[in-house]
Amino acid sequence: MRESRIMFLQYMTGLLILVFGSMHFLAISALAPTSDKILYLYNSSSGAHTLIGGTLNYYSVKAVYTSLAWGSVFELLLTFLVFHVFNGFRVILSEQFPGGTSEKIITYSMLIVALIIFIYGSNTIVVMLNGGGI
Amino acid sequence: MTIENKKGWISWFNPFRYGTDRWMYSLHRLTGIILGFYLIAHVWETSHILDGPITWNSLMVFLDYPFGPHFGPFILSGVLLVAVYHALNGIRLTIVENGLMLPKPYRPEFPYRPKSLKGLNNVLKILLGVLMIIISAIGIYFIFTGVIL
Amino acid sequence: MQEIALKGFGEVLKTVTFRVRRYDPEKRELAKYMEYKVPVQMGMTVLDGILYIKEHLDHSVSARYSCRMGICGSCGMIINGKEQLACQTQILELNKDLIKVDPMGNYPIVKDLVPDLSKLFRNHGSVKPYIIREEEEPKSEFIQTPEQREEYAMFTDCILCGMCLSACPTNATDELYLGPQSLAQGYRYITDNRDMGFNERLNVLDSKHGVWRCHFSGACSEVCPKGVDPALGVQLLRQLLTSNSFVKYKQKEATKGPERKSVSGVS
Repeated sequence: MRESRIMFLQYMTGLLILVFGSMHFLAISALAPTSDKILYLYNSSSGAHTLIGGTLNYYSVKAVYTSLAWGSVFELLLTFLVFHVFNGFRVILSEQFPGGTSEKIITYSMLIVALIIFIYGSNTIVVMLNGGGI
Repeated sequence: MTIENKKGWISWFNPFRYGTDRWMYSLHRLTGIILGFYLIAHVWETSHILDGPITWNSLMVFLDYPFGPHFGPFILSGVLLVAVYHALNGIRLTIVENGLMLPKPYRPEFPYRPKSLKGLNNVLKILLGVLMIIISAIGIYFIFTGVIL
Repeated sequence: MQEIALKGFGEVLKTVTFRVRRYDPEKRELAKYMEYKVPVQMGMTVLDGILYIKEHLDHSVSARYSCRMGICGSCGMIINGKEQLACQTQILELNKDLIKVDPMGNYPIVKDLVPDLSKLFRNHGSVKPYIIREEEEPKSEFIQTPEQREEYAMFTDCILCGMCLSACPTNATDELYLGPQSLAQGYRYITDNRDMGFNERLNVLDSKHGVWRCHFSGACSEVCPKGVDPALGVQLLRQLLTSNSFVKYKQKEATKGPERKSVSGVS
Protein backbone atom coordinates (compact mmCIF):
# COMPACT_ATOMS: atom_id res chain seq x y z
CA MET A 1 0.00 0.00 0.00
CA ARG A 2 1.12 3.50 -0.73
CA GLU A 3 2.29 5.43 2.28
CA SER A 4 -0.32 8.15 1.67
CA ARG A 5 -3.14 5.59 1.97
CA ILE A 6 -1.72 4.15 5.19
CA MET A 7 -1.35 7.57 6.74
CA PHE A 8 -4.84 8.55 5.61
CA LEU A 9 -6.12 5.49 7.48
CA GLN A 10 -4.01 6.57 10.46
CA TYR A 11 -5.76 9.95 10.59
CA MET A 12 -9.21 8.46 10.02
CA THR A 13 -8.82 5.73 12.65
CA GLY A 14 -7.58 8.43 15.03
CA LEU A 15 -10.81 10.37 14.60
CA LEU A 16 -12.94 7.22 14.84
CA ILE A 17 -11.16 6.19 18.04
CA LEU A 18 -12.18 9.55 19.46
CA VAL A 19 -15.85 8.84 18.69
CA PHE A 20 -15.91 5.20 19.78
CA GLY A 21 -13.53 5.79 22.69
CA SER A 22 -15.82 8.39 24.22
CA MET A 23 -18.75 6.03 23.61
CA HIS A 24 -17.03 3.25 25.53
CA PHE A 25 -16.83 5.47 28.63
CA LEU A 26 -20.62 5.76 28.50
CA ALA A 27 -20.86 1.98 28.99
CA ILE A 28 -19.65 2.35 32.56
CA SER A 29 -21.20 5.75 33.28
CA ALA A 30 -24.33 7.36 31.87
CA LEU A 31 -25.61 4.36 29.89
CA ALA A 32 -24.60 1.68 32.39
CA PRO A 33 -27.35 -0.91 32.98
CA THR A 34 -27.38 -0.48 36.76
CA SER A 35 -29.20 1.59 39.30
CA ASP A 36 -26.04 2.45 41.29
CA LYS A 37 -24.73 5.69 39.86
CA ILE A 38 -21.20 5.11 41.10
CA LEU A 39 -18.14 3.31 39.71
CA TYR A 40 -17.32 1.29 42.82
CA LEU A 41 -19.59 0.38 45.71
CA TYR A 42 -17.55 -1.26 48.45
CA ASN A 43 -18.43 -3.26 51.47
CA SER A 44 -15.59 -2.47 53.88
CA SER A 45 -17.23 -3.72 57.10
CA SER A 46 -14.93 -6.70 57.53
CA GLY A 47 -11.76 -4.66 57.02
CA ALA A 48 -11.04 -5.94 53.51
CA HIS A 49 -12.75 -4.26 50.60
CA THR A 50 -15.18 -6.25 48.53
CA LEU A 51 -17.01 -4.93 45.52
CA ILE A 52 -20.76 -5.33 46.04
CA GLY A 53 -22.10 -2.90 43.46
CA GLY A 54 -21.38 -0.05 41.11
CA THR A 55 -21.02 0.08 37.37
CA LEU A 56 -17.72 -1.82 37.45
CA ASN A 57 -19.28 -4.73 39.30
CA TYR A 58 -19.15 -8.04 37.40
CA TYR A 59 -22.87 -8.28 36.65
CA SER A 60 -23.10 -4.72 35.41
CA VAL A 61 -20.09 -5.15 33.11
CA LYS A 62 -21.43 -8.49 31.91
CA ALA A 63 -24.76 -6.88 31.03
CA VAL A 64 -22.86 -4.38 28.91
CA TYR A 65 -20.79 -7.06 27.17
CA THR A 66 -23.75 -9.32 26.34
CA SER A 67 -25.63 -6.62 24.43
CA LEU A 68 -24.90 -6.79 20.70
CA ALA A 69 -24.71 -3.01 20.33
CA TRP A 70 -21.98 -2.56 22.92
CA GLY A 71 -20.20 -5.65 21.67
CA SER A 72 -19.94 -4.23 18.17
CA VAL A 73 -18.81 -0.85 19.54
CA PHE A 74 -16.00 -2.56 21.47
CA GLU A 75 -15.03 -4.71 18.50
CA LEU A 76 -14.84 -1.71 16.17
CA LEU A 77 -12.94 0.32 18.76
CA LEU A 78 -10.47 -2.53 19.17
CA THR A 79 -9.96 -2.78 15.41
CA PHE A 80 -9.29 0.93 15.02
CA LEU A 81 -7.06 1.06 18.09
CA VAL A 82 -4.94 -1.91 17.05
CA PHE A 83 -4.37 -0.40 13.61
CA HIS A 84 -3.62 3.08 14.96
CA VAL A 85 -1.30 1.91 17.73
CA PHE A 86 0.72 -0.59 15.75
CA ASN A 87 0.98 1.58 12.68
CA GLY A 88 2.23 4.30 15.01
CA PHE A 89 4.78 1.91 16.48
CA ARG A 90 5.83 0.89 12.99
CA VAL A 91 6.39 4.54 12.04
CA ILE A 92 8.41 5.25 15.18
CA LEU A 93 10.50 2.10 14.85
CA SER A 94 11.14 2.47 11.13
CA GLU A 95 12.31 6.03 11.76
CA GLN A 96 14.59 4.60 14.42
CA PHE A 97 16.00 1.76 12.31
CA PRO A 98 15.72 2.84 8.67
CA GLY A 99 16.74 0.45 5.91
CA GLY A 100 15.14 -2.21 3.74
CA THR A 101 15.70 -5.32 5.86
CA SER A 102 15.06 -3.77 9.25
CA GLU A 103 11.86 -2.13 8.03
CA LYS A 104 10.59 -5.46 6.71
CA ILE A 105 11.29 -7.07 10.08
CA ILE A 106 9.55 -4.18 11.87
CA THR A 107 6.49 -4.27 9.59
CA TYR A 108 5.95 -8.00 9.90
CA SER A 109 6.63 -8.20 13.64
CA MET A 110 4.20 -5.32 14.25
CA LEU A 111 1.63 -7.12 12.09
CA ILE A 112 2.03 -10.31 14.14
CA VAL A 113 1.80 -8.51 17.51
CA ALA A 114 -1.22 -6.54 16.28
CA LEU A 115 -2.97 -9.75 15.21
CA ILE A 116 -2.24 -11.39 18.57
CA ILE A 117 -3.69 -8.41 20.49
CA PHE A 118 -6.66 -8.24 18.13
CA ILE A 119 -7.48 -11.95 18.45
CA TYR A 120 -6.97 -11.87 22.21
CA GLY A 121 -9.29 -8.86 22.63
CA SER A 122 -11.87 -10.15 20.15
CA ASN A 123 -11.94 -13.46 22.02
CA THR A 124 -13.09 -11.63 25.17
CA ILE A 125 -15.78 -9.71 23.31
CA VAL A 126 -17.11 -12.67 21.30
CA VAL A 127 -17.16 -15.10 24.24
CA MET A 128 -18.94 -12.53 26.42
CA LEU A 129 -21.42 -11.86 23.63
CA ASN A 130 -22.34 -15.55 23.73
CA GLY A 131 -23.12 -15.52 27.41
CA GLY A 132 -19.82 -15.23 29.24
CA GLY A 133 -17.01 -17.54 30.25
CA ILE A 134 -18.27 -18.84 33.56
CA MET B 1 37.42 8.85 8.20
CA THR B 2 34.36 10.91 9.03
CA ILE B 3 32.06 10.34 11.97
CA GLU B 4 28.29 10.33 11.85
CA ASN B 5 26.95 13.15 13.99
CA LYS B 6 23.36 11.98 14.29
CA LYS B 7 21.43 13.52 17.14
CA GLY B 8 19.54 10.28 17.73
CA TRP B 9 16.32 9.58 19.58
CA ILE B 10 17.64 11.36 22.66
CA SER B 11 16.88 14.60 20.79
CA TRP B 12 13.16 13.93 21.30
CA PHE B 13 13.81 14.93 24.87
CA ASN B 14 15.60 18.09 23.78
CA PRO B 15 12.81 20.27 22.43
CA PHE B 16 14.33 23.39 23.97
CA ARG B 17 15.12 26.48 21.90
CA TYR B 18 12.79 25.67 19.03
CA GLY B 19 9.15 26.38 19.70
CA THR B 20 5.86 25.08 21.05
CA ASP B 21 5.33 22.81 18.02
CA ARG B 22 8.57 21.03 18.78
CA TRP B 23 7.42 20.46 22.38
CA MET B 24 4.08 19.15 21.19
CA TYR B 25 5.79 16.76 18.79
CA SER B 26 7.85 15.24 21.61
CA LEU B 27 4.83 14.98 23.89
CA HIS B 28 2.66 13.50 21.16
CA ARG B 29 5.21 10.79 20.51
CA LEU B 30 5.75 9.97 24.19
CA THR B 31 2.03 9.91 24.99
CA GLY B 32 1.44 7.71 21.94
CA ILE B 33 3.95 5.15 23.18
CA ILE B 34 2.44 5.21 26.69
CA LEU B 35 -1.09 4.75 25.29
CA GLY B 36 0.06 1.89 23.08
CA PHE B 37 1.32 -0.02 26.08
CA TYR B 38 -1.81 0.95 28.01
CA LEU B 39 -3.95 -0.62 25.26
CA ILE B 40 -2.13 -3.93 25.69
CA ALA B 41 -2.55 -3.75 29.47
CA HIS B 42 -6.22 -2.82 29.13
CA VAL B 43 -6.98 -5.70 26.76
CA TRP B 44 -5.28 -8.07 29.21
CA GLU B 45 -7.18 -6.53 32.14
CA THR B 46 -10.64 -6.75 30.56
CA SER B 47 -10.03 -10.34 29.48
CA HIS B 48 -10.36 -11.27 33.17
CA ILE B 49 -14.12 -10.93 32.86
CA LEU B 50 -14.03 -14.42 31.35
CA ASP B 51 -12.81 -15.79 34.71
CA GLY B 52 -16.04 -15.08 36.55
CA PRO B 53 -17.32 -12.68 39.18
CA ILE B 54 -14.85 -13.40 42.01
CA THR B 55 -11.71 -12.82 39.91
CA TRP B 56 -13.18 -9.77 38.21
CA ASN B 57 -14.39 -8.09 41.40
CA SER B 58 -11.13 -8.69 43.23
CA LEU B 59 -9.21 -7.35 40.21
CA MET B 60 -11.38 -4.21 40.22
CA VAL B 61 -10.68 -3.75 43.92
CA PHE B 62 -6.99 -4.33 43.34
CA LEU B 63 -6.87 -1.77 40.53
CA ASP B 64 -8.77 0.81 42.54
CA TYR B 65 -6.61 0.23 45.61
CA PRO B 66 -3.36 -1.23 44.32
CA PHE B 67 -1.09 0.28 46.92
CA GLY B 68 -3.42 1.70 49.50
CA PRO B 69 -6.43 3.97 49.24
CA HIS B 70 -6.75 5.93 46.03
CA PHE B 71 -3.42 5.15 44.49
CA GLY B 72 -5.12 3.53 41.54
CA PRO B 73 -7.02 6.69 40.62
CA PHE B 74 -3.69 8.51 40.38
CA ILE B 75 -2.48 6.11 37.70
CA LEU B 76 -5.84 6.34 35.95
CA SER B 77 -5.71 10.17 36.07
CA GLY B 78 -2.27 10.01 34.49
CA VAL B 79 -3.60 7.83 31.68
CA LEU B 80 -6.51 10.23 31.24
CA LEU B 81 -4.22 13.26 30.94
CA VAL B 82 -2.04 11.43 28.42
CA ALA B 83 -5.06 10.29 26.41
CA VAL B 84 -6.70 13.72 26.39
CA TYR B 85 -3.47 15.35 25.21
CA HIS B 86 -2.91 12.77 22.50
CA ALA B 87 -6.51 13.04 21.31
CA LEU B 88 -6.68 16.84 21.21
CA ASN B 89 -3.26 17.21 19.64
CA GLY B 90 -4.21 14.47 17.21
CA ILE B 91 -7.19 16.54 16.06
CA ARG B 92 -4.94 19.57 15.68
CA LEU B 93 -2.40 17.57 13.68
CA THR B 94 -5.11 16.07 11.46
CA ILE B 95 -6.14 19.62 10.61
CA VAL B 96 -2.77 21.27 10.12
CA GLU B 97 -0.87 18.31 8.67
CA ASN B 98 -3.36 18.20 5.83
CA GLY B 99 -2.68 21.81 5.04
CA LEU B 100 -5.91 23.19 6.48
CA MET B 101 -5.92 26.33 8.64
CA LEU B 102 -2.41 27.16 7.46
CA PRO B 103 -1.50 30.41 5.69
CA LYS B 104 -1.14 30.63 1.93
CA PRO B 105 2.44 30.92 0.67
CA TYR B 106 3.62 34.42 1.54
CA ARG B 107 6.63 36.67 1.05
CA PRO B 108 9.18 36.10 3.84
CA GLU B 109 10.13 39.36 5.47
CA PHE B 110 12.76 40.15 8.06
CA PRO B 111 12.92 39.04 10.89
CA TYR B 112 11.59 35.85 9.24
CA ARG B 113 9.08 34.57 11.77
CA PRO B 114 7.45 31.45 10.26
CA LYS B 115 3.73 32.05 9.80
CA SER B 116 2.82 28.36 9.63
CA LEU B 117 3.51 28.03 13.36
CA LYS B 118 1.49 31.14 14.18
CA GLY B 119 -1.96 32.34 13.21
CA LEU B 120 -4.74 29.77 13.24
CA ASN B 121 -2.31 27.07 14.30
CA ASN B 122 -1.70 29.09 17.45
CA VAL B 123 -5.44 29.48 18.00
CA LEU B 124 -5.76 25.69 17.80
CA LYS B 125 -2.97 25.30 20.36
CA ILE B 126 -4.66 27.66 22.81
CA LEU B 127 -7.97 25.88 22.26
CA LEU B 128 -6.18 22.61 22.95
CA GLY B 129 -4.85 23.92 26.24
CA VAL B 130 -8.25 25.22 27.37
CA LEU B 131 -10.10 22.05 26.38
CA MET B 132 -7.43 19.92 27.99
CA ILE B 133 -7.84 21.70 31.33
CA ILE B 134 -11.65 21.43 31.21
CA ILE B 135 -11.85 17.79 30.09
CA SER B 136 -9.15 16.53 32.43
CA ALA B 137 -10.67 18.43 35.38
CA ILE B 138 -14.06 16.78 34.79
CA GLY B 139 -12.45 13.39 34.19
CA ILE B 140 -10.26 13.49 37.29
CA TYR B 141 -13.26 14.57 39.37
CA PHE B 142 -15.17 11.51 38.18
CA ILE B 143 -12.23 9.19 38.68
CA PHE B 144 -11.70 10.26 42.28
CA THR B 145 -15.33 10.50 43.37
CA GLY B 146 -16.59 7.63 41.23
CA VAL B 147 -19.97 9.37 41.08
CA ILE B 148 -21.73 9.27 37.74
CA LEU B 149 -24.27 11.84 36.68
CA MET C 1 25.61 62.10 14.37
CA GLN C 2 28.49 60.14 13.02
CA GLU C 3 30.22 60.11 16.40
CA ILE C 4 27.18 58.52 18.04
CA ALA C 5 26.84 55.93 15.31
CA LEU C 6 30.46 54.95 15.62
CA LYS C 7 30.54 55.13 19.43
CA GLY C 8 32.30 52.11 20.80
CA PHE C 9 33.32 50.99 17.33
CA GLY C 10 36.70 49.33 17.32
CA GLU C 11 36.97 49.13 21.10
CA VAL C 12 37.05 45.82 22.88
CA LEU C 13 33.75 45.77 24.77
CA LYS C 14 34.10 42.43 26.50
CA THR C 15 35.80 39.09 26.29
CA VAL C 16 33.76 35.99 25.65
CA THR C 17 34.75 32.36 25.79
CA PHE C 18 34.22 30.27 22.67
CA ARG C 19 33.75 26.58 23.38
CA VAL C 20 34.36 24.96 20.02
CA ARG C 21 33.84 21.30 19.28
CA ARG C 22 36.98 19.90 17.70
CA TYR C 23 37.24 16.72 15.70
CA ASP C 24 40.10 15.73 13.47
CA PRO C 25 39.54 12.60 11.37
CA GLU C 26 43.26 12.04 10.94
CA LYS C 27 43.85 11.73 14.66
CA ARG C 28 42.21 8.70 16.15
CA GLU C 29 40.49 10.65 18.89
CA LEU C 30 36.93 11.39 19.89
CA ALA C 31 35.51 14.85 19.43
CA LYS C 32 36.38 17.21 22.27
CA TYR C 33 35.64 20.78 23.26
CA MET C 34 38.34 23.46 23.40
CA GLU C 35 37.95 26.92 24.87
CA TYR C 36 39.25 30.17 23.44
CA LYS C 37 39.06 33.69 24.84
CA VAL C 38 37.99 36.16 22.18
CA PRO C 39 37.87 39.96 22.60
CA VAL C 40 34.61 41.24 21.15
CA GLN C 41 34.14 44.48 19.29
CA MET C 42 30.87 45.99 18.26
CA GLY C 43 29.39 44.32 15.19
CA MET C 44 31.44 41.16 15.53
CA THR C 45 29.66 37.99 14.44
CA VAL C 46 30.30 34.45 15.59
CA LEU C 47 32.05 33.81 12.29
CA ASP C 48 34.35 36.78 12.99
CA GLY C 49 35.05 35.23 16.37
CA ILE C 50 35.99 31.92 14.79
CA LEU C 51 38.21 33.71 12.28
CA TYR C 52 39.86 35.59 15.18
CA ILE C 53 40.61 32.23 16.79
CA LYS C 54 42.01 30.97 13.50
CA GLU C 55 44.23 34.01 13.05
CA HIS C 56 45.50 34.54 16.56
CA LEU C 57 44.91 31.53 18.80
CA ASP C 58 44.68 28.23 16.95
CA HIS C 59 45.27 27.88 13.24
CA SER C 60 43.85 24.39 13.06
CA VAL C 61 40.21 25.33 13.73
CA SER C 62 38.21 24.57 10.58
CA ALA C 63 34.98 26.16 9.50
CA ARG C 64 33.27 26.56 6.15
CA TYR C 65 32.28 30.05 5.10
CA SER C 66 32.16 32.14 2.01
CA CYS C 67 30.08 35.28 1.62
CA ARG C 68 29.83 36.48 5.26
CA MET C 69 26.44 38.04 4.58
CA GLY C 70 23.92 35.24 4.83
CA ILE C 71 23.57 34.46 1.14
CA CYS C 72 25.75 31.46 0.42
CA GLY C 73 24.53 29.33 3.32
CA SER C 74 27.92 27.79 4.08
CA CYS C 75 28.40 28.65 7.72
CA GLY C 76 25.43 26.98 9.40
CA MET C 77 26.38 25.68 12.84
CA ILE C 78 24.79 25.07 16.21
CA ILE C 79 25.41 28.17 18.32
CA ASN C 80 24.32 27.88 21.94
CA GLY C 81 22.13 24.90 21.10
CA LYS C 82 20.27 26.33 18.11
CA GLU C 83 21.11 26.15 14.43
CA GLN C 84 22.12 29.58 13.14
CA LEU C 85 24.24 31.06 10.39
CA ALA C 86 27.49 32.08 12.09
CA CYS C 87 27.84 35.11 9.83
CA GLN C 88 24.45 36.50 10.85
CA THR C 89 24.68 35.95 14.59
CA GLN C 90 25.98 38.94 16.52
CA ILE C 91 28.02 37.96 19.56
CA LEU C 92 26.74 40.93 21.57
CA GLU C 93 23.13 40.07 20.72
CA LEU C 94 23.60 36.57 22.14
CA ASN C 95 24.34 38.32 25.45
CA LYS C 96 26.29 35.39 26.86
CA ASP C 97 29.83 35.09 28.18
CA LEU C 98 30.13 31.52 26.95
CA ILE C 99 29.37 30.69 23.33
CA LYS C 100 29.15 27.01 22.52
CA VAL C 101 29.79 26.26 18.86
CA ASP C 102 28.95 22.82 17.51
CA PRO C 103 28.90 21.55 13.94
CA MET C 104 25.45 20.89 12.49
CA GLY C 105 23.90 17.63 13.65
CA ASN C 106 22.65 14.74 11.50
CA TYR C 107 25.53 15.10 9.03
CA PRO C 108 28.88 13.32 8.93
CA ILE C 109 31.65 15.64 10.06
CA VAL C 110 34.58 16.34 7.77
CA LYS C 111 36.55 18.29 10.35
CA ASP C 112 35.74 20.47 13.38
CA LEU C 113 32.79 22.62 12.28
CA VAL C 114 32.61 21.40 8.69
CA PRO C 115 29.73 19.01 7.97
CA ASP C 116 29.51 16.82 4.88
CA LEU C 117 26.38 18.13 3.15
CA SER C 118 26.31 15.54 0.35
CA LYS C 119 23.18 13.96 1.87
CA LEU C 120 21.36 17.29 1.52
CA PHE C 121 22.35 17.68 -2.12
CA ARG C 122 21.52 14.05 -2.90
CA ASN C 123 18.04 14.43 -1.40
CA HIS C 124 17.57 17.74 -3.17
CA GLY C 125 18.48 16.10 -6.47
CA SER C 126 16.14 13.17 -5.88
CA VAL C 127 13.01 15.34 -6.02
CA LYS C 128 14.08 16.62 -9.49
CA PRO C 129 14.44 20.31 -8.71
CA TYR C 130 13.95 21.51 -12.25
CA ILE C 131 11.01 22.09 -14.55
CA ILE C 132 9.95 18.92 -16.32
CA ARG C 133 8.28 19.26 -19.70
CA GLU C 134 7.32 16.73 -22.29
CA GLU C 135 8.64 18.66 -25.26
CA GLU C 136 12.40 18.56 -25.56
CA GLU C 137 12.82 21.93 -27.16
CA PRO C 138 10.04 24.39 -26.39
CA LYS C 139 9.01 26.53 -29.31
CA SER C 140 7.48 29.32 -27.28
CA GLU C 141 7.56 30.92 -23.85
CA PHE C 142 5.38 29.76 -20.98
CA ILE C 143 3.36 32.59 -19.58
CA GLN C 144 3.22 32.95 -15.81
CA THR C 145 1.27 35.65 -14.04
CA PRO C 146 2.62 37.31 -10.87
CA GLU C 147 -0.16 35.60 -8.88
CA GLN C 148 0.91 32.20 -10.17
CA ARG C 149 4.48 33.01 -9.18
CA GLU C 150 3.38 33.95 -5.65
CA GLU C 151 2.17 30.37 -5.11
CA TYR C 152 5.70 29.07 -4.87
CA ALA C 153 7.89 32.18 -4.70
CA MET C 154 8.73 31.87 -0.99
CA PHE C 155 10.31 28.44 -1.42
CA THR C 156 12.72 29.72 -4.03
CA ASP C 157 14.51 31.66 -1.29
CA CYS C 158 16.15 28.46 -0.02
CA ILE C 159 19.94 28.83 0.15
CA LEU C 160 20.66 25.14 0.87
CA CYS C 161 22.37 25.82 4.17
CA GLY C 162 21.03 22.49 5.47
CA MET C 163 20.13 23.79 8.92
CA CYS C 164 16.57 22.43 8.67
CA LEU C 165 17.91 18.90 8.35
CA SER C 166 20.01 19.47 11.44
CA ALA C 167 17.03 20.74 13.46
CA CYS C 168 14.56 18.13 12.18
CA PRO C 169 13.78 15.50 14.84
CA THR C 170 12.95 12.87 12.20
CA ASN C 171 16.30 13.33 10.54
CA ALA C 172 17.94 12.85 13.92
CA THR C 173 17.25 9.12 13.62
CA ASP C 174 16.16 8.48 10.03
CA GLU C 175 19.01 9.09 7.60
CA LEU C 176 16.89 8.02 4.63
CA TYR C 177 14.31 10.75 5.27
CA LEU C 178 14.24 13.30 2.47
CA GLY C 179 14.19 16.23 4.86
CA PRO C 180 12.25 19.50 4.93
CA GLN C 181 14.45 21.19 2.37
CA SER C 182 13.90 18.74 -0.48
CA LEU C 183 10.21 18.26 0.32
CA ALA C 184 9.61 22.01 0.21
CA GLN C 185 11.51 22.16 -3.06
CA GLY C 186 9.38 19.32 -4.40
CA TYR C 187 6.31 21.38 -3.56
CA ARG C 188 7.86 24.44 -5.18
CA TYR C 189 8.28 22.64 -8.53
CA ILE C 190 4.92 20.84 -8.42
CA THR C 191 2.98 24.07 -7.91
CA ASP C 192 4.91 25.86 -10.64
CA ASN C 193 2.42 26.11 -13.47
CA ARG C 194 5.09 25.51 -16.13
CA ASP C 195 5.97 22.13 -14.61
CA MET C 196 4.46 18.82 -15.74
CA GLY C 197 6.41 16.37 -13.58
CA PHE C 198 4.02 15.58 -10.73
CA ASN C 199 3.82 11.86 -11.48
CA GLU C 200 7.58 11.57 -11.85
CA ARG C 201 8.13 13.06 -8.40
CA LEU C 202 5.30 11.15 -6.76
CA ASN C 203 7.30 7.97 -6.22
CA VAL C 204 10.01 9.79 -4.29
CA LEU C 205 7.73 12.11 -2.31
CA ASP C 206 5.14 9.49 -1.39
CA SER C 207 7.68 6.83 -0.40
CA LYS C 208 8.27 5.28 3.01
CA HIS C 209 10.79 7.99 3.87
CA GLY C 210 9.09 10.78 2.02
CA VAL C 211 6.60 13.40 3.04
CA TRP C 212 4.74 11.24 5.59
CA ARG C 213 7.67 11.02 7.96
CA CYS C 214 7.21 14.71 8.77
CA HIS C 215 5.32 15.15 12.03
CA PHE C 216 5.13 18.94 11.94
CA SER C 217 7.46 19.76 14.78
CA GLY C 218 8.15 23.08 13.08
CA ALA C 219 11.84 23.07 14.02
CA CYS C 220 12.87 23.53 10.37
CA SER C 221 10.86 26.72 9.99
CA GLU C 222 12.06 27.91 13.36
CA VAL C 223 15.74 27.81 12.32
CA CYS C 224 15.44 28.79 8.65
CA PRO C 225 17.64 31.87 8.12
CA LYS C 226 15.65 33.01 5.08
CA GLY C 227 12.11 32.51 6.43
CA VAL C 228 11.36 29.91 3.76
CA ASP C 229 9.03 28.09 6.17
CA PRO C 230 9.72 24.56 4.86
CA ALA C 231 7.16 23.13 7.31
CA LEU C 232 4.42 25.01 5.47
CA GLY C 233 5.60 23.61 2.17
CA VAL C 234 5.62 20.06 3.53
CA GLN C 235 2.09 20.36 4.93
CA LEU C 236 0.77 21.85 1.69
CA LEU C 237 2.47 19.07 -0.26
CA ARG C 238 0.81 16.56 2.02
CA GLN C 239 -2.58 18.13 1.36
CA LEU C 240 -1.86 17.80 -2.33
CA LEU C 241 -0.95 14.11 -2.00
CA THR C 242 -3.99 13.30 0.17
CA SER C 243 -6.38 14.89 -2.28
CA ASN C 244 -4.49 13.22 -5.13
CA SER C 245 -5.40 9.79 -3.81
CA PHE C 246 -9.11 10.64 -4.27
CA VAL C 247 -9.15 13.09 -7.14
CA LYS C 248 -6.19 12.89 -9.50
CA TYR C 249 -4.08 16.02 -9.33
CA LYS C 250 -4.43 18.06 -12.48
CA GLN C 251 -1.25 19.69 -13.67
CA LYS C 252 -1.60 23.34 -14.37
CA GLU C 253 -1.08 24.09 -18.02
CA ALA C 254 0.92 27.20 -18.59
CA THR C 255 -0.43 29.18 -21.51
CA LYS C 256 2.07 29.40 -24.30
CA GLY C 257 3.21 32.63 -25.81
CA PRO C 258 3.68 33.29 -29.51
CA GLU C 259 5.87 30.76 -31.27
CA ARG C 260 9.45 31.74 -31.83
CA LYS C 261 12.32 30.37 -33.83
CA SER C 262 14.70 30.27 -30.88
CA VAL C 263 13.76 30.74 -27.25
CA SER C 264 17.13 29.99 -25.76
CA GLY C 265 19.20 32.32 -27.89
CA VAL C 266 18.83 36.01 -28.53
CA SER C 267 16.16 36.60 -31.14
